[in-house]
Amino acid sequence: MKKQLLIACIALLSFTAIPLLSQAQAAEKQATIKVSGEVSAPLTIDAAYLQKFTQTTVIRKDRDGKDHTYSGVIVSEILKNAGVTLGPELKGENLTKYLLVEASDGYQVIFALAELDKGYTDRAIILADQVDGKPLAPGDGPYRIIVQDEKKPARCIKQVTAMQIHFIK
Amino acid sequence: MNPLKHNPFLNRQKLKSGRVMFLLVVFVSLSSWCYLAVGIETGAYVLVYPSNFGNRIQIPANNPTTKQGVYLGRMLFYENRLSAANTVSCGSCHHQDKAFTDGLAFSKGVDNVLTSRNSMSLANLLWARKFFWDGRADGLEEQAITPLTNPHEMGQSLDASAQKIGKIAAYPPLFKLVYGDSSITGDRIVKAIAQFERTLISANSRYDQYLRSAYQPTPDELKGMELFNNAPQPEKGIRGANCSHCHGGVKTYMELFHNNGLDSIPKDAGIAELTSLPADRGRFKVPTLRNIALTAPYMHDGRFKTLDQVLDHYSDHILESASLSSFLRGESNEPGGTSLKLQPLEKKQIIAFLNMLTDQDFIHNPDFADPHLLTSKNKKY
Ligand code: HEC
Ligand code: HEC
Repeated sequence: MKKQLLIACIALLSFTAIPLLSQAQAAEKQATIKVSGEVSAPLTIDAAYLQKFTQTTVIRKDRDGKDHTYSGVIVSEILKNAGVTLGPELKGENLTKYLLVEASDGYQVIFALAELDKGYTDRAIILADQVDGKPLAPGDGPYRIIVQDEKKPARCIKQVTAMQIHFIK
Repeated sequence: MNPLKHNPFLNRQKLKSGRVMFLLVVFVSLSSWCYLAVGIETGAYVLVYPSNFGNRIQIPANNPTTKQGVYLGRMLFYENRLSAANTVSCGSCHHQDKAFTDGLAFSKGVDNVLTSRNSMSLANLLWARKFFWDGRADGLEEQAITPLTNPHEMGQSLDASAQKIGKIAAYPPLFKLVYGDSSITGDRIVKAIAQFERTLISANSRYDQYLRSAYQPTPDELKGMELFNNAPQPEKGIRGANCSHCHGGVKTYMELFHNNGLDSIPKDAGIAELTSLPADRGRFKVPTLRNIALTAPYMHDGRFKTLDQVLDHYSDHILESASLSSFLRGESNEPGGTSLKLQPLEKKQIIAFLNMLTDQDFIHNPDFADPHLLTSKNKKY
């Protein structure tokens, strides 16, 4: 009888504890970025993955009108790891490809591949995860595209969740 | 939902347009009832819309829009027999006179259990890519499967629906006309419904007329439009409500998903229920404001009964949380203010603009109405 009670108690405990545990896990969940489309190796990018790359900084003004130092990884470096046709392969038909960046709020912007390639431009476009030495604010991050010297901030897309490479139709 | 329930608006309209029209409609519908495949126009359906809507329309390659497909889709949209108890159709929760909403906070399905969210307007879906309040369905075809099979909506498996429909004399010849043979499948049912939904285009509101210089707005409407479109900049003396940041563009729909400050701790976590990401908590689709005066109650849970309440919310009651949209944070018409702080007259002006988005042609277009209603009416009179 006692044993049954014990089992019942344990069962009850585990029933109540499991949802609590999984809730805690859910809260810990981190955003990632899916890289897909015209790539030879689709990627899922997280904080650990980005640490493997050389970090680059870009200074640009935000809406507050002040200069901020963003640091992160050059986007074309990430795309090369996914097997996107950059560098020597970025010619002919491949010049009709673009990168579509999507944010968690559904906002989308595009870049022509040539805008991202060092052979075409020195302007750096990075996937930033830090601003002024600190992680991006929750409303901006964890990942944000920063376009060096671009006058309007509209393509400095926040809360990035996906990067897709496509051919124009 | 009583399938025979008429809405007074339609009735009034009919009386006004006179008996001749009524008889004509009856004649046409009766003849199509009798001859079916014979009287139905076939061929590609030309979707007509203003050029400022843009051509980013969504039609899957395997479901081109045809006249016969739209005809069948409309029959199925209003077909009660697609539900387990033959009592509910898509049209039960999506009434044309309310821009395809139902006037309720939550709707009842076949089992009389309430849906967990507010019914959504079906206008200009041709341009939408993600459906439902949380954007979980990727296309209209996929979307339709949910209400058809959900036990609290129509509650019937696609196979059961296909079988039932196959026994109704009118349908097999129609499926043959649309798909080349009379086999009826769940896939063919949802494809036809999606074709019909793509034709539900709302593009002749007073706002559209204004955009093509065919309507001169009143001073209040103009002021409301300006407030709707401007971001507040108190230091420069510019007053605004910044609505267009999320609801902007000629379609008043940009396919965005935000937390608009309804709750600090939302009962319904919205997109976070799918992603478990803290940033998605309380995030929902930014719905179209087309025909907004007709689609009360408002928000995913129908919590606001009037547009006055909606404006009070945006002006004075935005609730803080980690996932609150940054577009609503620190936006104010007072220097250093934490909420919009619109004046009572400004709220009225914004509502005057929102009323410009009502499209009478859309809610009275006979091509969108219940094709079964006319025949059931005949029986009654
Ligand atoms: C019982 C009421 C009910 C019935 C029946 C019903 N719907 Fe809905 N509809 C809703 C509700 C509630 C939502 C929002 C649900 C959500 O977001 O989870 C909705 C959402 C939608 C949407 C999404 C619109 C958008 O902008 O994202 C479409 C499309 C739709 N319904 C079409 C249909 C079709 C087609 C049918 C018939 C096959 C149908 N509905 C039957 C209540 C209903
Ligand atoms: C940050 C983006 C954002 C801004 C800015 C914004 N809205 Fe919204 N709006 C939303 C979202 C998201 C919803 C749906 C929220 C929900 O149901 O949880 C919504 C819902 C609505 C609805 C209800 C729609 C329906 O079908 O139920 C109305 C009306 C509305 N907004 C009007 C306005 C007005 C007027 C303004 C300007 C004062 C405004 N909105 C500013 C994001 C925004």
